[in-house]
Amino acid sequence: MEYSSPWANRAKWCYLLGVVFCLMLPVFYTIYVSFNEFGFGSPKYKFTLDYYVNLFQNEEILNALQWTLILCLLTVVATVPMSLLAAKFYKSARNKVPFLILMLMPLFIPADIMAASLLVFFKNLNHYLNAWLGLDWFNLSWYTVWIGQILWTMPYAFVIILITMSRYRVQQTEAARSCGATAWQAFWQVEFPQIRPGVFSSCAFVFILAFNEYTRTNLLNGGFATFTTYVVNFMLSSGMEPEVYAMSAMISVTSMVVILSLIVYMLTRKELRESEERGAGTPPRSATMAGTG
Amino acid sequence: MMTEYSVEVENLGKDFGPVRALNTVSFQVRSGSYFVLLGPSGGGKTTILRLIGGFERPSRGHVRLMGQDVTGLPPNKRGSTMVFQNYALFPHMNVERNVGYGLKLRRLPKQEIRERMEAMLEMVGLAGLNRRMPNELSGGQQQRVQLARSLVLGTDILLLDEPLASLDAKLRKEMCLELKHIQERVGITFLHVTHNQEEAMTIADRIAVIADGDLIEEAAPREIYETPQTSFTAGFIGENNLFRGRIEKVEADHVTAVLSAGKVRVPRRGLEVSEEQEVTVSIRSELLTLTASPPEGDGNQSLPAEFVEQVFLGLTTNYLAKLEDGQQVLARGIGEGEGESFAPGAPLHIVWETKDGLLLVK
Repeated sequence: MEYSSPWANRAKWCYLLGVVFCLMLPVFYTIYVSFNEFGFGSPKYKFTLDYYVNLFQNEEILNALQWTLILCLLTVVATVPMSLLAAKFYKSARNKVPFLILMLMPLFIPADIMAASLLVFFKNLNHYLNAWLGLDWFNLSWYTVWIGQILWTMPYAFVIILITMSRYRVQQTEAARSCGATAWQAFWQVEFPQIRPGVFSSCAFVFILAFNEYTRTNLLNGGFATFTTYVVNFMLSSGMEPEVYAMSAMISVTSMVVILSLIVYMLTRKELRESEERGAGTPPRSATMAGTG
Repeated sequence: MMTEYSVEVENLGKDFGPVRALNTVSFQVRSGSYFVLLGPSGGGKTTILRLIGGFERPSRGHVRLMGQDVTGLPPNKRGSTMVFQNYALFPHMNVERNVGYGLKLRRLPKQEIRERMEAMLEMVGLAGLNRRMPNELSGGQQQRVQLARSLVLGTDILLLDEPLASLDAKLRKEMCLELKHIQERVGITFLHVTHNQEEAMTIADRIAVIADGDLIEEAAPREIYETPQTSFTAGFIGENNLFRGRIEKVEADHVTAVLSAGKVRVPRRGLEVSEEQEVTVSIRSELLTLTASPPEGDGNQSLPAEFVEQVFLGLTTNYLAKLEDGQQVLARGIGEGEGESFAPGAPLHIVWETKDGLLLVK
């Protein structure tokens, strides 16, 4: 590294930023349009917040936003612990391949096929449960959407957690147990702090997946709209009204802010914790590494 | 209450699916002693330790710790604690939180935790490193922290699973002696697994030799070295020359054995043997000498051989010779040796005192 040209490094960064910029250009343009009084395609520009004001005065949208947040949180709350358990099972399982295939299966099924299948499944299930037991449990509603969301977000959360878990050494759990910890204490005090980044990333990922999901949500909901389904349906019925730009801008910005803050949090947290452990005034690690024998 | 034996293992066995890792093993470890399970890799010694610690469930048999049957108990309910080969420190905790971990679980007062932790770090020679993270410690220091983390709990039994295996040779020797001294100071039972015979000889009060899922034999280090009971132990410990043959004549205190290279007389050691029985004669390499002419009299035994080469190792020199049937024989002398010197291929006799031949029937 010492001999590599500083310009090569700068060029790499320029390339990276260039690619990101090109990818994000349409999004930036949408944000730009959402603040322009003259709307899409106009050569003139005048800053305005009108579309956002309209947006927040629209009760339907606010309702959709509220539903979305609830749905996303519920999906995170269900998916992440289930994926964590699945990852722990996978690590200790003797016959891993069949389990892995089962876990990843939802990834290989196209969204609309899975959504349609679930729709038919829930409809039938509800029909028979109703006919035989008089139960109305699987009528299309927020929790049929919820089940659909859990099904398709779980493989992602599972893989993310599994990756962080693969670095964990099981001897540490055994050491904790031999120090007197119960299985739960060993998990919570020793293993979890080390796989926390994976768990947090999977939370963020599941949240965003659920937030942006359209097909399953749209087919499985029982008449309520999430932010995304509202935006898409609005576009399909009314065309590209300026409010749509405002909504799209908000969705993109929310997603980006969640991801960026998560990355920053993860990067700073490890350093912070380690310096806490080391205590104030102790030299950084690089200085203390030498001369231990 | 102090029991005579802190660890008692009774007909203990373990299968992993169709694979039998441990046949059926029984032994007892006297309280306050340093007991070593020694054997080649894959022999089942770590399995025994893990069964005693509660990390595996036995397929058969019982484990008693301090007189109490703990076979069905998880590791945290047993009166033992374990030091692992490596990677077992909690990487997100500094040295003092690692060492204090078990005490904190017991909800001891903070002041007491601090005092006991400091005393233990002092004892293992890590005073002042409280705030270091595990990745800032050398391999030897990490093992010391593990040792402190276990000893601070004050349990009756400490299990050590190849604790020195990942250290370099010099550090391993130092730590070996230190482990022994620490054990003498704390006075609890240490049960230590290793494949390194020098390590075992240095620290053990008693050694159990484990191989192929069986306990081959158990004795004090000197006995194991000088009078092994089986040809496996004789081959595994020390550098012994093993000659296979059969018994031709049985006398009151000697037998005559026919080996491929000749007949020799060996002390019978009270063994029940019969003529034509297959036996092994073992002779320690340091008790063999090479001479050009066969010795006179009954006090010595010899076999004809030819010289191969000599290898100077500093403290000792190894002399290699070859019997007529091609079997290599090793003789060791101190320094460069004062005996005769031979050219490669020169005929000679390997000689030992009759009393040094060890008859093995197992």
